[in-house]
Amino acid sequence: MQKIMIIEDDPAIREELALLLGNEGYRALTVTEFVNVPEQVTDADPDLILLDLGLPGRDGFSLCADIRRNSGAPIIFVTSRDSAMDELQALSLGGDDYITKPYNILVLLARVKAVLRRSESSADADILTAGKLSVSLTRGTASSGPKTAELTRNELRILVRLMDRPGEIVSREDLIEALWDSRIYIDDNTLSVNMTRLRSKLEALGLPDYIKTRRGLGYQL
Amino acid sequence: MSPGEFLSDRLGGLLLHLIVMAATGVFLLASGTESGVLVIVFLAWALVLLTVHVWDYLRLRAYLRELNAIMDGLDRKYLFAECVPRPRGIFQRRSFDLMRRSGKAMIEAVSDAQASQRDYREYIESWVHEIKTPITAAQLICRQTDPDIRRRLSRELAAIDDHVERALFYARAESHEKDFIIRQISLDDIVSQALDRHRALLIQSGVHIETNDLCQTVYTDDKWVSFMVGQLLQNAVRYRRGQDPAITLSACPLGRQVQLTVCDNGIGIPPHDLSRVFERGFTGANGRSRGGSTGMGLYLCRRLAGFLAVDLQIRSREGRSTSVTLTFPAKEDLSKM
Repeated sequence: MQKIMIIEDDPAIREELALLLGNEGYRALTVTEFVNVPEQVTDADPDLILLDLGLPGRDGFSLCADIRRNSGAPIIFVTSRDSAMDELQALSLGGDDYITKPYNILVLLARVKAVLRRSESSADADILTAGKLSVSLTRGTASSGPKTAELTRNELRILVRLMDRPGEIVSREDLIEALWDSRIYIDDNTLSVNMTRLRSKLEALGLPDYIKTRRGLGYQL
Repeated sequence: MSPGEFLSDRLGGLLLHLIVMAATGVFLLASGTESGVLVIVFLAWALVLLTVHVWDYLRLRAYLRELNAIMDGLDRKYLFAECVPRPRGIFQRRSFDLMRRSGKAMIEAVSDAQASQRDYREYIESWVHEIKTPITAAQLICRQTDPDIRRRLSRELAAIDDHVERALFYARAESHEKDFIIRQISLDDIVSQALDRHRALLIQSGVHIETNDLCQTVYTDDKWVSFMVGQLLQNAVRYRRGQDPAITLSACPLGRQVQLTVCDNGIGIPPHDLSRVFERGFTGANGRSRGGSTGMGLYLCRRLAGFLAVDLQIRSREGRSTSVTLTFPAKEDLSKM
């Protein structure tokens, strides 16, 4: 289980973030005493650090430099300061990413995932499989047995989102948000059109009921 | 100061001289002075008078030119009295000292006002950063409530955040210290930032978003421009039509400049309001009929665009569409800023 260390002085955010990351399958570690933070980081040896830049008594930038000296864990800055100067300074001090408050939770999770993936030496799996279907991300194709179908960008993203958690219900709103993360700005109508096309492609692959509609709730693999 | 002006200034003195000259002439003639002597006396008198006034004129003209040069060279004109040499005459010196005292009082008042404006701005900036922490916490907390309430609450929280953001940019736009950084950035990134920020609003209002050819490079401050695009998106959502609302964001090069157009198919702006939409606090007929307008969004856009040398144009057909075009300066023209 990947460990994420939360260095944040606001208790409400700290606890909620820990809960959120816990639900997402990470182990969240929180820092509650803001003395000897670099030592605490070294002891905990996290895979990723979420660092608030507005900590009491200490400038987040200098803290980052200290942590960097002993730990190679990637750091994502979380801050309410958003001037261009702050961002440049943050990234020049060895931050791997920079998120401003108030952040969109999905965006935060996507960034966490991306940074963790980047820091892992092994390349992420290109092929996703769920049930009888496998999807190649680089080629943009879906295949079942010998049959293969080409997917459009939108269809690929929809499928990836659904295959991320097989069996779980994904609401239409969540699907739309997931597509927005990939800079695909679709609305409800467009989602319906894409869903119909995707289903007919899956049907051609011999998987007619691969995506189930749960009325009023969303979709489910 | 022309010689004519100088003469008219000295007219009284010169007339007095003439009268005294005439009286002296009459007196001397009556007391038996020879007219030849009289001519010599008067010539000498006139010569002295002429020399004194010519010298005076040249001296005053040189002094005035010096003052003008100092004034032209001054960045802050109100510091004038502090920078000029004191005049020599006793009367001029006294009145100059009075002027300088009044100037000093004004300089103090100006610097007090500047300091308090700076303090206020700094307070607003830090307040904005403080308020973002509870907003973030609230967003995280409402994640655990049921989906419908979550969506409605996050929309309200997003609205709070938008108001806060406007306050921050207002403080930035009205202050004299500009903290933007011009750098090379793709329009695609700027537009994504803005769309991402307002995604809850855009998705829930059911507006169809279309982006065309945004892969253009501009030289500007991405945060400022993304804020501006955000204001345009919010307007487009607020004044959308009931059926199939859509917003199109497209870019195209224009010589060495780049244009970004945000176009919607909303209710449009009445022609008589169109010229005033950039005025501070102007809400117009649309704002009155729909409510919720602050009249600050487009005003801030124009202010910020001015600092970034971005040209901002708005066109609208009432009942059909509104389009706002941002023209980004060519890289070469930025050095003039």
